[in-house]
Amino acid sequence: MRRGISILLTVAAAVMLSGCNNSRQIETASIIKNVSVDRRGGQVVYTFYRLSSSEKPWGIDVPADSFEQACALAREQYIPNLSLAKLELLMLSEDVYRQVMQDDVDYISTQASFSPIAYVTLCDDGAIERIKETNRTQSLIEEQLILLKKNNPSVNINYLSIFNNFARRGEDSFTVPFISSEKELKVSEFEIDREKMKKTAK
Amino acid sequence: MQTEVKFSSKRFLLALLLCACSVILLQNNDLSPNASFTFNAICIAAGLAVCFLFFLPSLILKKQTDSDVLTLARRFTPKLRIPIAIFYALYFVYAALYFLLPYIDMFHTKYFPEVTPCLITFIMLLGCAYAACKGVNVISRFGIFLFLFALLTNILMFGGSLSELDFSHYSFELNGEFNAFMQNTLYFVTPSFIAVIFACCSGVTRNFRFRQPVFTLIFTGLKYAAVIFFVWFALGDYVGRQTYPAFVLSRVAHFGPFAGIESFYLALSTMSVFMIVSLFLCCISRGTCSDGNRKCVLIFTLIIFALYVTATYINSVKEILVNPIPLLLLTFVAAVMLPAAYIFVGRKSNAKGN
Amino acid sequence: MNYSINEIKLSLQSQFDNSADLSVRVFTLKSALKIQAAVITMEGLVDKEQLSQSVLNPLLTFDYGARDSAAVSVIAYSSVMASSDVIKLSSADEIVTYITSGFAVLMIDGAEELYAVGVQGYSFRGVSEPESEVVQRGSREGFTEPLRVNMSMIRRRMKTPDLKFEQMTVGTDSKTQLMICYLQSQVSLDLLNKLKNRLSGCNLETVLASGYLSDYLEDNGSGSLFSGVGISERPDTVCGKLTEGRIAIIVDGTPAVMIVPHLFVEEFQSVDDYSNRTYYAAFIRLMKYLSFFVSVFLPGLYVALAQFHPEYFPTWLLINTSESLAQTPFPVTAEVLAITVVYEIMKEAGLRIPKSLGHAVSIVGALVIGDSAVNAGIISASTLMVVATAAICGYVTSPLYPPIMMLRMLFIVVGGFTGLWGITLATAVVLIGMCAKTSLGVPYLSSLSPFSLRRMRDVFIRAGWRQLSKHTIRVQKFPETEVQDANRG
Repeated sequence: MRRGISILLTVAAAVMLSGCNNSRQIETASIIKNVSVDRRGGQVVYTFYRLSSSEKPWGIDVPADSFEQACALAREQYIPNLSLAKLELLMLSEDVYRQVMQDDVDYISTQASFSPIAYVTLCDDGAIERIKETNRTQSLIEEQLILLKKNNPSVNINYLSIFNNFARRGEDSFTVPFISSEKELKVSEFEIDREKMKKTAK
Repeated sequence: MQTEVKFSSKRFLLALLLCACSVILLQNNDLSPNASFTFNAICIAAGLAVCFLFFLPSLILKKQTDSDVLTLARRFTPKLRIPIAIFYALYFVYAALYFLLPYIDMFHTKYFPEVTPCLITFIMLLGCAYAACKGVNVISRFGIFLFLFALLTNILMFGGSLSELDFSHYSFELNGEFNAFMQNTLYFVTPSFIAVIFACCSGVTRNFRFRQPVFTLIFTGLKYAAVIFFVWFALGDYVGRQTYPAFVLSRVAHFGPFAGIESFYLALSTMSVFMIVSLFLCCISRGTCSDGNRKCVLIFTLIIFALYVTATYINSVKEILVNPIPLLLLTFVAAVMLPAAYIFVGRKSNAKGN
Repeated sequence: MNYSINEIKLSLQSQFDNSADLSVRVFTLKSALKIQAAVITMEGLVDKEQLSQSVLNPLLTFDYGARDSAAVSVIAYSSVMASSDVIKLSSADEIVTYITSGFAVLMIDGAEELYAVGVQGYSFRGVSEPESEVVQRGSREGFTEPLRVNMSMIRRRMKTPDLKFEQMTVGTDSKTQLMICYLQSQVSLDLLNKLKNRLSGCNLETVLASGYLSDYLEDNGSGSLFSGVGISERPDTVCGKLTEGRIAIIVDGTPAVMIVPHLFVEEFQSVDDYSNRTYYAAFIRLMKYLSFFVSVFLPGLYVALAQFHPEYFPTWLLINTSESLAQTPFPVTAEVLAITVVYEIMKEAGLRIPKSLGHAVSIVGALVIGDSAVNAGIISASTLMVVATAAICGYVTSPLYPPIMMLRMLFIVVGGFTGLWGITLATAVVLIGMCAKTSLGVPYLSSLSPFSLRRMRDVFIRAGWRQLSKHTIRVQKFPETEVQDANRG
């Protein structure tokens, strides 16, 4: 009996001290669903959109040079319980993708904490503005992305595929989705030159 | 506790199969990145062929004497019993750390960065000590449940990755060099540690057939090939940037919006390492004291923990402990040389008896 | 040895310390030698009318002539007493055991024999439907308290001379009678001896219920969460188990019969399975296994996911759950643990209070916990749903409720502190414990681990009767059983 109690106490103490209790609880965690990246006043700004049931998305702007830096800054200064495991969409504006895309995709691909079903897309400024307005825009984009992926498997809307394309030898370009603000949001294909990271119209 | 009851050899080898399969779960960029799937498949075949050679002496010993090295050491060479037991104890302590270190590292870096690794190891080792006290038979019974869980996890992991398979960019071509062949083959010889467990515990099993370990190695090879196949064709070059490819594969696997298969992977690797370390402690206990001796199990559990803490803080110790070469050399002695020696000792004694 | 009425009377009076319910009726027989006789009974345990008609009247009216005590005793036994149930006692020490069991002990002054006459007449509860093992298509008869009535219920179903009852007495003070019941041709002699040794080793002063003996029958004592001793209130269930080589222990005064060896898979079998269509029986079995897992793991997994891995929730569920939990003041682990404890308290209160108050407790419970607490923001609706689902699932396999409840609590705590990793490790440890457990030498997880393909036809599914009847698998034939197969047949 005494031995049983002592083992129980040892295990309990070990469990308490293990650091596992330092958990991110569901009610306090800031689970990010989308991130948009655009340029404002010469500075690249990452906007983290929290998952919520409200009609209007709640975005937090974090000025940074890269996604890695933005995540670190967000954790330190803006969103302490940041969780990126549910990230579904990283929207890069036309202005910034040449500057940050390579690094950001590299960062996502080396981190295990990101969702494997995250999409990396390019978009115009109008699309960035529209996604700030309502959650319905996000679901519309997601639906269109899924349709695009089904209809054209060569389009790389999964970050893993994008990384594979970046790393793959012997291919000069790769294709990603482009979200434009024309009429009701439209998602089309974009070809990107691997070396020059140059947008070419399709 | 049914420590005296002899149990089916099939079930024992099923437990060993699960131990062998867990090696690929904890693989952390040990394989050459330039080797293609077909090349790796050849390496798997070569590695497991070497494993079979490692198995051979203890299989012959079991067939001839229906006993294991530790029992024969007691029976035929009482003077050498203690040095042999100490050698095996050291081997199993070393091997336990060889598997614990990458597992805890994977858990810490990939799954739960906030955790304190030493205490997680301590809790895990306490669980293993409890299992080891119950004996090999009980652990092999647990293996049946683990087998079912492993089956489910593999179905989820591979089924969920099917949509990611990309045959257009990655083909079945045979790419690789001699160095890569050596490196990869060396890695695929790692499951030979199960031959040592067999050499130490096979005395408690019955109905042994030669084909059982052959099937064990074949299934191990198939499992390795399946993981390598999915890692190669579903993750592609991406895997080169990530540590623990099997973990990444489980993370990538998803059924529509339903993801989170890495939790199954984590549970499987936790239970597999739990079983490996428990079996090691059992073997130590069988050699040094008696099957399921609590004090003995507890002492060696503490030794493993102390070495783990040392390896965590002193990098050179860690480098030695995760180096596969010393482990393979020790495995060769434990699985080949000592059982081979006892085959001759056994024959000599039989000849004298006649 | 020739017994003297006075000596026996004095001895009994001193043993019972002049207890008011001890009755020693001394009378003189119709004989030339004026031989005295006595009938010793315990007040309230005998049927007085039956005693008069079958013992006292014949004894008093018969003319014994000039015969001596020894001859009178023989005649009384062979020709006078009209009772069918007369047992010759081997010593005076047995008097107490018999009179406290409702027998009347007859002694002839100076004779060597003592007779116990079965004239039991105490009131007891009639045969009724067992409450804990309700079936749809089976017998409605359940065991009751008196030993003999329970024996008769088994005998009525097994009309074979193969069925044996062996009597034993346990409890140094209570002298509780029990019957070891088995089928001679099926049981393992080794198993039977093992059981008898365990019961002989019972050093309890009082045995008031069969549960007192469980610890003595367990291989691992009371240390394990799961019980290696089965309990049944149904005679048909007991008979079914006897045919598989198991042994039943009927304890006087308890309507629950113990069955050993008892295995984990038996908790998921019921009499209805064998009456229903096979596909439906299989479906119900699978539902039972599912309920067991849900009941044990659901709250723990919920806590682990909510605390450590919120991303594993589907998006819509994540939003709802996080918003619901954000409105409550306690951490999710504390919340789940508290509701589980409150639920257990209410369940216990519901069981103990008079039936007339039961509805009131149910209403208060449903209102307080189910509605007001959620509206007041003390607990979240999602947590309540999880705990309630687990609680309901726990009753599907009601004999397993105690281990289910303890494991549920364990997994809530472990999941709350260490997440899925802790639950995995705890599951492994619990499984090891279950794998190591045996019931009278038979592995508790038999059929599953050690695996037996033949036994699988009555584990997750129930094969048709044609197939089941081909081989009755005796319990001692299970793999890795530590008892010998040799039986007494």
